Amino acid sequence: MKKNIKCPYCGNQIEIEDERGDKKYITCPICNKKGVYTFKDISSLKEDFDENSIITVKKLTKTYSDKKAVDNISFSVKKGEIFGFLGPNGAGKTTTIKSILGLIKADSGEIEINGFNIRKSEKNAKKNIGYLPEKVAFYDNLTALQNLLFYAKIKKVSKEECFSLLEEFGLGDVINKKVGKFSKGMVQRLGMIRAIMGNPPILILDEPSSGLDPRGAIQIRNKIREMNQNGATVFVSSHILSEIQEICDRVGIINKGVLVAKDTVEALSKKLNLKPKLSIELEKISDEITKSINNIKGIDKVEVKEKTINVICDSETKAKVILAIAKAGGNILNLQTQEPSLEEVFIRYTGGEV
Amino acid sequence: MLDIIINIAKKEFMDNIRNKWIIIITILFASLTLLASYAGSIYSEGWQDLGATMSIISGLVNFLITIIALILGYSAIIGEIEKGSMSSLLSLPAKRLEIVLGKFFGLGMVLTSTILIGFGIAGIIIGLNVPNVNYVEYLIFIGLTVLVGLVFLNIGIFLSCLSKKRSTAMGGAIFVFFLFTIIWQFIVFALLNIANSFNVENTALSDWYFALNFFNPLEAYGYLLSLNISSIAAQQIELFLGGYPSFLNTTNLIVTLFLWLSIPLVLAYWLFKNKDI
Repeated sequence: MKKNIKCPYCGNQIEIEDERGDKKYITCPICNKKGVYTFKDISSLKEDFDENSIITVKKLTKTYSDKKAVDNISFSVKKGEIFGFLGPNGAGKTTTIKSILGLIKADSGEIEINGFNIRKSEKNAKKNIGYLPEKVAFYDNLTALQNLLFYAKIKKVSKEECFSLLEEFGLGDVINKKVGKFSKGMVQRLGMIRAIMGNPPILILDEPSSGLDPRGAIQIRNKIREMNQNGATVFVSSHILSEIQEICDRVGIINKGVLVAKDTVEALSKKLNLKPKLSIELEKISDEITKSINNIKGIDKVEVKEKTINVICDSETKAKVILAIAKAGGNILNLQTQEPSLEEVFIRYTGGEV
Repeated sequence: MLDIIINIAKKEFMDNIRNKWIIIITILFASLTLLASYAGSIYSEGWQDLGATMSIISGLVNFLITIIALILGYSAIIGEIEKGSMSSLLSLPAKRLEIVLGKFFGLGMVLTSTILIGFGIAGIIIGLNVPNVNYVEYLIFIGLTVLVGLVFLNIGIFLSCLSKKRSTAMGGAIFVFFLFTIIWQFIVFALLNIANSFNVENTALSDWYFALNFFNPLEAYGYLLSLNISSIAAQQIELFLGGYPSFLNTTNLIVTLFLWLSIPLVLAYWLFKNKDI
């Protein structure tokens, strides 16, 4: 990997290259001072591969004409969880998903789906998967039903299930309409039906809400939850971070081909020291109130805006703040807590701050 | 395995038989065959018999069947990859070999149907208007046309697997079309001219001339027609003074066409197997 560093003595920018975990000894070409830089070892993100892992990705690397799209990433998705997979455009999300599905040949690494190696036992591995691609496409000259029956036959799913899913997703009236005449939202819903038909134990969903109106997006989210409650493991990639935060148990963040984080949103926020924001609207704000809040341990920032006090503090300090206001004679009109969002976590992990 | 191949073939057939270009070319094909039969002969007026029709339209086949087959083949794989439906298909328990074979059989059925419709309609109409029709030769003609059509279908599928873009595959298909319909003959004839010091009239053609043409599937098809269909043979005798060399026999030509049929398909599968989607 390449890294741009700044000489601490003269400020000169130097580009260095090495492998992760390696130490690089540098001599600044301007001031001749010597120094050492250690490349961050992401293996600290090592995954506990166990019998609970339903998708395991080990040391996956894929290069496209000298550019590493995915660089030695490892992670696992546990049985029954909803795992969110995030990253900026071009970070390596699609390459990872395609590798999991066996659509592309990785340079190195191993991928197992429910115990089956995707390359050695391709058919058995794929029997476990329902996939919704980012770009959902069907055969335009065929009707919705003809399309669905084609896939159903390969997946060994009954005709009755196809009809029932078409009804459930609001496509019951258009089963004999050519897919080429469908709107984007209708194609997306049909794509979701194709993914979930046959109740596969693993769902891999790439941008499931793409092209859907809010009602359609809610329906898809509810369906994902329902499938998960019925035992399906869900691996979902989306640009809508609020959606991911709402439905996912854990997230993995990939940036420039490297998996930079994976955990629950809460744990990642904690690692980044991101704290909740407490917004308290008072009848009147006195000096005594602000002073008493500032005296509490664990307070990061206090900000007063007209009749509202915004306090950034640890979760466990929130109650102390409210108590201090009450003690100082403050009359609370409204209270809101804003937990650290996945958006903040995402920006910190992909914006170069971590 | 077989059920998946049949399922894919069926889907390909249903999807492509509704392709407007295929419909247009099929109609054009049937119309031209009828037209060739009715008015195509410069020697006489009115309905020709099937033999005369075959000799007139065999040249037409070179162009139209090659175009239909290449249109069907060139986008078969790369078209689906670019559109996005290939990733969904490959996420299912379907192997790449099953997909290639399914596509070959499905598109082959479309092509065969096109030929059968085109020649069938013409055959029936001519049969109703002309007495003493030689249907056996007509069936041989149709069979050989299907075979050469399938050869070009597989060349199209091979190009589809070879290319990284649909537009590149289309460019390749256009090149293949011109290579086998015009450029090949042009080069071989140019070589013949050079070898005979630009005096080829009234000289028997050399064996190497036939040997070079032997490897062009369209030429092989043409030789097969003239060896097996009397009306076309009658025309060819006027053209080639010395007749055909011994290696230019039906068995060798059929083997050549079968090699043209199988090698591009095997290569197509090998390329597709190693292709990133």
